[in-house]
Amino acid sequence: MRKVLALCGVILGASWIGQAPADETPPLIGKDAPDFVLKTNSGANLRLSEFRGQVVLVNFWARWAGDTHREMRALDKINTTYQRAGLVVLGVSVDEDLRRSQEFADSMKVSYPIMFDTGSDIGRDYQLAKMPVTFLIDRSGVVRFAHIGFQRGDDRMYLEQIRELLRE
Amino acid sequence: MNLKSRVGSILAGVLLLIGAYTVGPAASAQAPAASAPAASAPAPAAVPSAQPAPANGASLPAGAPAASAPSAPAAAPSDASAADFKTLDQEVQGMKKDVIDLNKDLFVLEEELLFPANTQVAVYVSMDVGAFFALDSVTLKIDNKEVKNYLYTAREADALLKGGVQQLYLGNLKVGKHELVAFFSGKGPVERDYRRGATLKFDKGVGAKYLELKISDKVAKHQPEFLIKDWE
Repeated sequence: MRKVLALCGVILGASWIGQAPADETPPLIGKDAPDFVLKTNSGANLRLSEFRGQVVLVNFWARWAGDTHREMRALDKINTTYQRAGLVVLGVSVDEDLRRSQEFADSMKVSYPIMFDTGSDIGRDYQLAKMPVTFLIDRSGVVRFAHIGFQRGDDRMYLEQIRELLRE
Repeated sequence: MNLKSRVGSILAGVLLLIGAYTVGPAASAQAPAASAPAASAPAPAAVPSAQPAPANGASLPAGAPAASAPSAPAAAPSDASAADFKTLDQEVQGMKKDVIDLNKDLFVLEEELLFPANTQVAVYVSMDVGAFFALDSVTLKIDNKEVKNYLYTAREADALLKGGVQQLYLGNLKVGKHELVAFFSGKGPVERDYRRGATLKFDKGVGAKYLELKISDKVAKHQPEFLIKDWE
């Protein structure tokens, strides 16, 4: 019985530790989103500030970080549903291996543009310490929501925030 | 120093206004005459009219003019406070204008300090026609050192095609001989990836130097042309 209780304790502790990074609040909230321009998988260049007036979801990801498959599928669904309502979803790969990152992005066949950042300037501007990180930027270009990591159900949290920002 | 004193006076004014906003309404409801009996002549009338019960009368100073003018018309205090707010609003607007002017002065000062005219070098990009070249990026090197790498979005490239001129780089250079190399990347004729370079050796004199990277079409060769123009 004691062993079972100890095991439960360990599992609960581990899950609490696992959840902890998701509760960390990135310091950019309430500040202007740092502007960037990057090349997309379609070959076009996109600049964040050109989407001023629309709600923008920026997802920084890397192949090696978290459940990227699940997150990209969830974001693709959000993009197809809310694109017409004024939402822009941008995926930014921070993988150093550009070729493998492009292959991965192509294999995912998502409907939103994937950009590739092989430098470290944007990561520094957005103070990325962990991956993946998702930012929601309001119509005036201010970061209103940020979330580190991705777990089952996080997409519902994104949706709540997106709906709120789209209503503004 | 002059600028500093202006900033100081504006900040002091803003603090005073904030103080007036936060303290003003609460204090005027209590006993404004106590703090400034001479300046707030119409305000004391509000005390008896707003609070007919004499309970609060004890808080008024004996020498306050409130006691001597209880029969003022009821509309007067509201008019007075409206006028106060109007002047306050005008002051705020004036301060906003001062801040904008100050910001402009600071910008000019910053430009003069960071890029003094005798060392200033500015590089501009312009495009003419663009039938044979779709601009994607420009990399700029001065004296073999990369100073700028700029990616153009479709909107920016379109703006250049419509006659826009972009300031690509603003920096400092010593007087003397220098070399500028610009690499242009994009789609050339028949949608092919295209990368070309252009070089200019120039003499930097005492005054500011303005250089223009000009992309135009060479119709006879069906090729784009990349020029660097030195504006004396």
